[in-house]
Amino acid sequence: MAATNLLQGTLDLLILKALALTELHGLAISNRIAQMTNGTFQVKPGSLFPALHRMEESGWLASSWGESENNRRAKFYQLTAAGRRQLQTETEQWKTIALAIGMALETS
Amino acid sequence: MPLRQRLASLGRNLFQRKRVDSDLDEELRAYVDQLASEKRQQGMTADEALRTARLELGGMQQVKEDVREVRTGRMLDQLLQDLRYGARTLRKNPAFTAVALLALAVGIGANTAMFSVAYGILMRPLPYADADRIAAVFEQYAPRDFQFGTMSIRDYQRWRENNRAFENPSLFRSWRMDIGGTEGIPEQVQGSSVTAGFFSTLQVSPIAGRTFVEGEDKPGNASLAVLSESIWRRRFGASSSVLGRTILVNGAPSTVIGVMPAGFEIPNRLTEVWTNLVLNPPGRFGPWLYRGIARLKPGVTLEQAQAETNNIARRLMQENPYYKRMTMPIRSLRDAMLGTTLRPALLVLTGAVGLVLLIAVVNVANLMLARATVREREMALRLSLGAGRSRLARQLLTESVLLAALGGLAGLAVAWGGINLIRVWNPGNLPLIEAVRLDGTALVFTLLVSLLTGVLFGMVPAFHSSRADLNSTLKEGGRGANTSRSRGRTRAILVVSEIALSLMLMVGAGLLLRSFVNLQRENGGFSTPPSQILTMLISPGNKKYSDAKVGLPFYDEVIRRALSVPGVEFATMTDSLPPDRQGDADTFRLEGQTLGPGEMNPVVTHATVGPDYFRALGIPLVKGREFTRRDDPNSTPVTVISEGFARRFFPHQEALGKHVGYCCDGSNTLWMEVVGIVGDVKYLGLSTDADPAYYMSFAQSYGPRSFFLVRTSGDAALIADALRKEIQSIDMGVTLAQVGTLRQAMDTSVSQPRFDTMLLLLFAGIALLLAAVGVYGLIAYSVAQRTHEIGVRMALGAAQRDVVRMVIGQGAGLAAIGIVAGLAGALALARLLATMLFGVGSSDALTFTAAAFTLLLVVLAATFVPALRATRISPVTALRYE
Repeated sequence: MAATNLLQGTLDLLILKALALTELHGLAISNRIAQMTNGTFQVKPGSLFPALHRMEESGWLASSWGESENNRRAKFYQLTAAGRRQLQTETEQWKTIALAIGMALETS
Repeated sequence: MPLRQRLASLGRNLFQRKRVDSDLDEELRAYVDQLASEKRQQGMTADEALRTARLELGGMQQVKEDVREVRTGRMLDQLLQDLRYGARTLRKNPAFTAVALLALAVGIGANTAMFSVAYGILMRPLPYADADRIAAVFEQYAPRDFQFGTMSIRDYQRWRENNRAFENPSLFRSWRMDIGGTEGIPEQVQGSSVTAGFFSTLQVSPIAGRTFVEGEDKPGNASLAVLSESIWRRRFGASSSVLGRTILVNGAPSTVIGVMPAGFEIPNRLTEVWTNLVLNPPGRFGPWLYRGIARLKPGVTLEQAQAETNNIARRLMQENPYYKRMTMPIRSLRDAMLGTTLRPALLVLTGAVGLVLLIAVVNVANLMLARATVREREMALRLSLGAGRSRLARQLLTESVLLAALGGLAGLAVAWGGINLIRVWNPGNLPLIEAVRLDGTALVFTLLVSLLTGVLFGMVPAFHSSRADLNSTLKEGGRGANTSRSRGRTRAILVVSEIALSLMLMVGAGLLLRSFVNLQRENGGFSTPPSQILTMLISPGNKKYSDAKVGLPFYDEVIRRALSVPGVEFATMTDSLPPDRQGDADTFRLEGQTLGPGEMNPVVTHATVGPDYFRALGIPLVKGREFTRRDDPNSTPVTVISEGFARRFFPHQEALGKHVGYCCDGSNTLWMEVVGIVGDVKYLGLSTDADPAYYMSFAQSYGPRSFFLVRTSGDAALIADALRKEIQSIDMGVTLAQVGTLRQAMDTSVSQPRFDTMLLLLFAGIALLLAAVGVYGLIAYSVAQRTHEIGVRMALGAAQRDVVRMVIGQGAGLAAIGIVAGLAGALALARLLATMLFGVGSSDALTFTAAAFTLLLVVLAATFVPALRATRISPVTALRYE
């Protein structure tokens, strides 16, 4: 699925989920999402970075400069407390929706 | 989301833009590097890896732009960007900016000034507690039918007896008072006699002492005086010892009990002394000298009060058959201060100045459109580089609003100047002018008007730009024919509406001008040039002059001395003066007439004049004789009547030798023989019809205070000082007031129409100028655009004449449409003016034609310059440039 087709809410949820365990920099986030979704979602930088900055300004993410695995300076993102709460809310919403849509699609 | 976080982001984005941007740069670069190193690990060469990584990023700038797009304060940021860009654009086009700013400054400035005047006079709360609960009460009845008619003490007592709607009905009367005493030289001031409840109705406290209390208007009460702050300062050095002092008011000792604060202006601005009006039981019906003032009881509406007073009026009508169709109109305090004509005039002027602003807006929109054509390529380029159309429209709007805001700022300066000019000069003698000032309300008004203006004139070009056709514009090298054509059409429509609006204003101004000229031609019934007549109000001061035996010789001496001043031809006394100083008005009786009980003849002008009065003013003697020096207390009482009086009360009969009775209570009637008939004179204003009048001889109807009137061979103003010296050398206690020529009085009496006319002329002039600029701009631009076409035409043999005709034809076409539309609008507008017009109909054909022709001429003149330029187009050059 092309990144542009990602619903904004879905992208947010994926980013939050990707950061649930540890802080990551931009490239690692998109790799993590690809890995988590078995390569279904290839998040392009044109979607990723606006989303990261928007979520940071919303207070869900915090960022800090650090060293990447190959010793390069990189900006790392991590979940804030608000971000964790958001992850939980969005996860529940998503499950409800997925269940509902799944049921709808299975109706014959 | 946490607000604090948001605000922090906003602050960072706005004020640390460089750091935020370089952070983003670095973040993205790191991303590319990491991606590239991943690729290398997957086996790509360094170059290949970097290229692929960049490709995947999809354009560094695009990503950065997308990130910026989501940042907090993005709108604000863009706004600042647009403002900066707009300011730069304005700076780079000084000619455009100057013309637009000038139009806006004049338009907004005139509106702010007019708004301040209208707001100050019509709306600013009066400085009295609950001023909208205070009402002035009048009498209106046929046949005199004055809207603000005065009442008599007897009517007032009826009102009080039957009153339930008002707190404490009070009565007052304004008149001139002689103030004298040991504190200074005697002088005449404007004074007012008021009943005990007057001050408590207004609820204004004195700054020293007290005001009148209940019962101080009862017969036999001592004479008391309340002073204004100004006279207290002038005559008593603002000393608190003035309380309890005795001063002479009209020769009667009166005790000063209080001082009112500055700015207390009831009944009018000039009032300096208030005395207690003593309600002696009236000996007869009338005189009508008084106005009512009262505060509504809580919970009572103005309508309820009006119903009640009209009921009282019905009762008065039953008691006095003289009153016909009588009402007791209640007016707000403000309306009573404004009179009947000012409010509609101010509203018309405010509307007119709104039209001026509309024309200015249209003009600037036109300029913007012209410039939009020039900027078409810039816009197309920005569109093709990925700017959103709405973003472009927003930027254009921002520019417009910026321009309007600057215009508004300049307009504030214009308004400030205009308001101060009007305040200082007060050419219209406007009441409440002190309440006119540039304040917060006016600032808010200016701000709103500026914003609205900017949005209005920015909308058209913004709309056009957002529709611009990218391909054709870029292809045609910035001469996009399609958009230009639609833009040209829009501009033509704008110019046509400018012409139409201007015509409306010009017709309005023309009608007022014609009406004003008519007023100026109105001579009030006398033929002596008014600049040769000097008048002044003389008061001998000392009480002994109240006795005719002392007073008449005094005035004989005044006349004798006046005649000794070089240049003086006639000198005489009168209590009434044209054009608007009616001394007295009263009813009368006619010889042989039987009146039913309570029935009366109408109240008409009743003037007391000395010998030579008619000759000095040049009032024609129609029949009989004038008063002479022999018409004194010892001879037969005589009267001279006006033609109107003779026509109405002695129809088809010889009036000379008949007798007219001066008022009116049975045996007290003074019967006078009619010895002369003179022409009608206007004593109630130039724009009203002359009232019927009967005159009495000064010596037979003596009163100590009188207007003194001299006619000179030259300019009367020059002898004022000499005359003053002569008169005061008779008795130092004599005071002179209201010294001025009749020319000045005539001018003052039409000051409000003059004010209205001047302002409307000014507005129409601005409108005409703006319209001319608009037409010129449109035609000049269209000639420039058609250079090629005109070149071809001339190459094919068109003469210069043909070219001129073609260009002027275009202008004439616009003018024709504009004028037709404008005439329709003007007809509607003129109807609003109807009440302000004198001697000219609201659909006066001459005015409409003249205005239309003037406008046509101006439009053609504005077209002529570009037409001439068109003839200078060289076919060779025009074609080569193609």
